[in-house]
Amino acid sequence: MNGWLGRLFHKRRTEKRLDAELRFHLEQKVRDYLAAGFSSEEARRRANLAFGGLEQVKQDCRDARVENHVQDFLRDLQYAFRGLAKDRRFALVAIFALALGIGATTVMFSVLYAVVVDPFPYRDFQHSVVLEMWDLTGPRQAEARFHYTIPEFLAIRDQNHVFEDIVGDYQSDVLYRDGKGTRRFLGCYTTPNDFGSGVPPLLGRSFGPDDGKPGTPFVFMMNYKLWQTEFGGDPAVLGRTFFLNGKPRTLIGIMPQRFNGCGSSLWLPTDLSPGADGTVFPVKDPDVIWACARLKKGVSLETAAADVDGILHRMAQANPGELYPQHFKIVLRTLLDFVVGDFSKTLYALLAAVTMLLLIACGNVANLLLARATVREREIAVRASLGASRGRLIRQLLVEGLLLAGGACCAGCLLAYFGVKGLVAIIPRGPNADLFHGRIPEEAVISLKPGVLLFAVAIAGLTTLICGLAPALHAVRGNLELRMFGSGKGAGGGFRHGKLRSGLVIAEVALSIVLLTGSGLMVRSFFALTHVELDFNPAHMLYAWVSTTEHGPYETAVKKKLFYEQVLQRVKALPGVINATTSLSMPPLGGNGSEITVLGKPSSQHWSSGIDLCGKAYFQVLGLRLVRGRLLSETDIDSARQVAVVNEAFVRAYFGSANPLGQKIKFNDFDQLPETPHDAYFEIIGVIADFKNQGLLEPPRPEAFLPHSITGFGGRNILAATAVDAKSVLAAVQREIWTVDSTAAVTQSGSMEDFLAEFAYTKPQFGLITTSVFAGIGLALVLVGIFSVMAYTVALQAHELGIRLALGAQRRDVLAMVLSHGLRLISAGILIGVLASLGLTRFLASQLQGVSATDPLTFCGVALVFLAVGLAACFLPARRASQCDPLVALHYE
Amino acid sequence: MEQGKAEVLKGTLDMLILKVVALGPIHGYAISQRIQQISKDLFQVPEGSLYPALHRLEDRGWLQAKWEETETGRDAKFYSLTRAGKKRLSAELVNWERLSEAMALILSAAE
Repeated sequence: MNGWLGRLFHKRRTEKRLDAELRFHLEQKVRDYLAAGFSSEEARRRANLAFGGLEQVKQDCRDARVENHVQDFLRDLQYAFRGLAKDRRFALVAIFALALGIGATTVMFSVLYAVVVDPFPYRDFQHSVVLEMWDLTGPRQAEARFHYTIPEFLAIRDQNHVFEDIVGDYQSDVLYRDGKGTRRFLGCYTTPNDFGSGVPPLLGRSFGPDDGKPGTPFVFMMNYKLWQTEFGGDPAVLGRTFFLNGKPRTLIGIMPQRFNGCGSSLWLPTDLSPGADGTVFPVKDPDVIWACARLKKGVSLETAAADVDGILHRMAQANPGELYPQHFKIVLRTLLDFVVGDFSKTLYALLAAVTMLLLIACGNVANLLLARATVREREIAVRASLGASRGRLIRQLLVEGLLLAGGACCAGCLLAYFGVKGLVAIIPRGPNADLFHGRIPEEAVISLKPGVLLFAVAIAGLTTLICGLAPALHAVRGNLELRMFGSGKGAGGGFRHGKLRSGLVIAEVALSIVLLTGSGLMVRSFFALTHVELDFNPAHMLYAWVSTTEHGPYETAVKKKLFYEQVLQRVKALPGVINATTSLSMPPLGGNGSEITVLGKPSSQHWSSGIDLCGKAYFQVLGLRLVRGRLLSETDIDSARQVAVVNEAFVRAYFGSANPLGQKIKFNDFDQLPETPHDAYFEIIGVIADFKNQGLLEPPRPEAFLPHSITGFGGRNILAATAVDAKSVLAAVQREIWTVDSTAAVTQSGSMEDFLAEFAYTKPQFGLITTSVFAGIGLALVLVGIFSVMAYTVALQAHELGIRLALGAQRRDVLAMVLSHGLRLISAGILIGVLASLGLTRFLASQLQGVSATDPLTFCGVALVFLAVGLAACFLPARRASQCDPLVALHYE
Repeated sequence: MEQGKAEVLKGTLDMLILKVVALGPIHGYAISQRIQQISKDLFQVPEGSLYPALHRLEDRGWLQAKWEETETGRDAKFYSLTRAGKKRLSAELVNWERLSEAMALILSAAE
């Protein structure tokens, strides 16, 4: 074997030796015959006869050697390369088309790999589950609770038979005081068992089983980002003591970059016993513990859910009350499913789109190869008659496909590299992406992985087979020698492969229509979303969430009111600010709600309403319109009167046509909370017009607006209407807040426009951009496909067209003939595509908002656009056909 | 083809070549002569298949070749067995023995 490479490069010497060897044999034979008494002529004749053709034996010897196959392959490669170089336009178009297809597919697979195969760094993340409690009684069925009270969590932890381990997390703000001021970080109290789920700390140690127990030293861990931004990645911070929430704590470890841990910056161990470190956990609050459990091996989600279900139903029986709905069930979801959720549908839809793109590209290349094979019929026939076997011809054509695929693969990988970078920039992730509709896990690292690249190479190989084999088989079928008598460019040639080519064009058009319709619907949906009419200008609306130390100086209603009144006065006085108010919610997205009771109107049904706590200028700032009665007055707020303004949806839902003014309502949830008026009935004093209060596209829900001064509970938002860009006054607002109290921290702030962009638009935007890009690429590919096929057809029909023109056909007729041929293909494709889209777009329905999945406008628009653009692609070849000189066309014969 | 002479049994040419070459370095012409001789002129090796077979066996690494002078002073390509070739030969021989035993059994039973 060591010789074959050498022989490959010393071909001449090898040939010479072969010749010498065989010649030696022949001479020996002749000598023997001479010795046997034959004449020298007869001896030579006999020897040659026995040998049976020197050349044939030589060829057989060559075939017996590996290097000769390699050589054939190299020759094929060289030949294919020369052929493609001669037809550069064809080669570039084919490579470009395939590269786009391969690149796009690789990008989508990179994303899917990152999301589905390797989303978390945790050990056994496939067995990690989260617990949801589905309310089966409420007005909106299956409204889920994701958090648990501490007793609930402890019961699940101690009584279950299905979990290997269960971790409870309690997220809360941690106020951090260094010499300069107070800042707020997102902290997380966590049970110390299995912290990190197999992810070792980058520095220091992780929590041990005793951390967080009463009497042990106070410790905490920090995430990578905070360590980098606040402490410049200085390892010396390890072991230092920090003042967190007013208590000294020692930093024992830093987690690596790829670790999310509830999205918190700091982790504090706790055994959940009250007051271990002076932290008071709200024991009764159901919104406290986020539980993440790891299933025992072999336990199914359903079995585990049934086990937990039993535990919680026992608890519900023992403590009947508001905490538990009448009917509920526990549902377990895998962590991956919980985080990615509906977003996986977007990803799979995109994968489908990208597959269509690849198919279009393949169709395109197959078509081009087919057209080329048609033109080369005569060449193939000549080679066949000169002794090339069918297999050899097919191999030759396949090598050409392989060369194209190789080039496309390289270009495709390059495209994929940039594509992945671009995609990472627009993909929805991070804590502000739409939590309940899914996103990419924070810890998923999207990059080109060797496995995925290998996959791309495999796709390239497969496309070679698909693209190359069909035309190759097509080209060598039938009696090859007979074709010598036909003419390679004759009248028949134009139509010989017409059906297959037309079929491919129709399929491409249909696929492209499906892509275009999908992205068209996305565009419409996004337009609907971003053009929801709001009563205020989001670019001129500033929001700032203020966090004051919990259980600190502002826990009473009076103190809280005083604080905000001072802040608001200062904010209002800022240049550029028109008006300012406090609120409990982000108005277009809504906020907290409560069950309600209407005095004198007992109802067996679950009645509920949203609640906002309003400052004096609330209605002016948000531009809300009074319909009847009056708004909250300054005195209402100053003296914390128990009065309420409601919206029209509230009136419609609970009073119908009756007069709501003067009616009294109670907010049942207030009875559960500290620092809220218990057993209090609020009198309705006014009704305002509906506005968006639970997302941009959902219809408004019933909501009540109460004076903010009635309670000291909850964090508050500051909303300010500005005359200038809201972001420009941000720093000033922050300063004013600190002037009032330097320990108050602004947790999140910005312009409402940015908030909406981040919160509500990111995911649809992602779908929109990606599908549009894919659809655009698809359209471009199909146009190239139509153009090249029409151009080839015209070239092949030149003879026929020449005769027609010579016989007196008008140029107009020829133009119409070619155009109508193109039109037939395009309209057939459009028809099939529209029908397919009608069937397929409903899978997109969950991604669409404000537009139906069979929106007629989109469908018609897409069809028309395609018709116009497709005809344009036909026009150029058609014009060339009509302008050909009949003499020249006929001369080619 | 002359009467009474059989073509080498299909599939056994490789084994015959290996066996003959195993006796010592030998060139192609001599191989065909030797096979004819030993088989008492029963087998005739067609040159058309001898040389492709030799090249194939060399390509597989079972034979190695060297250009040397013959007794008559001419340059000829001498083949000899490699270590892998020896292994191959013994494997083929075992195989052949089994095959011929089976053949003999079947033929004797059929009588």
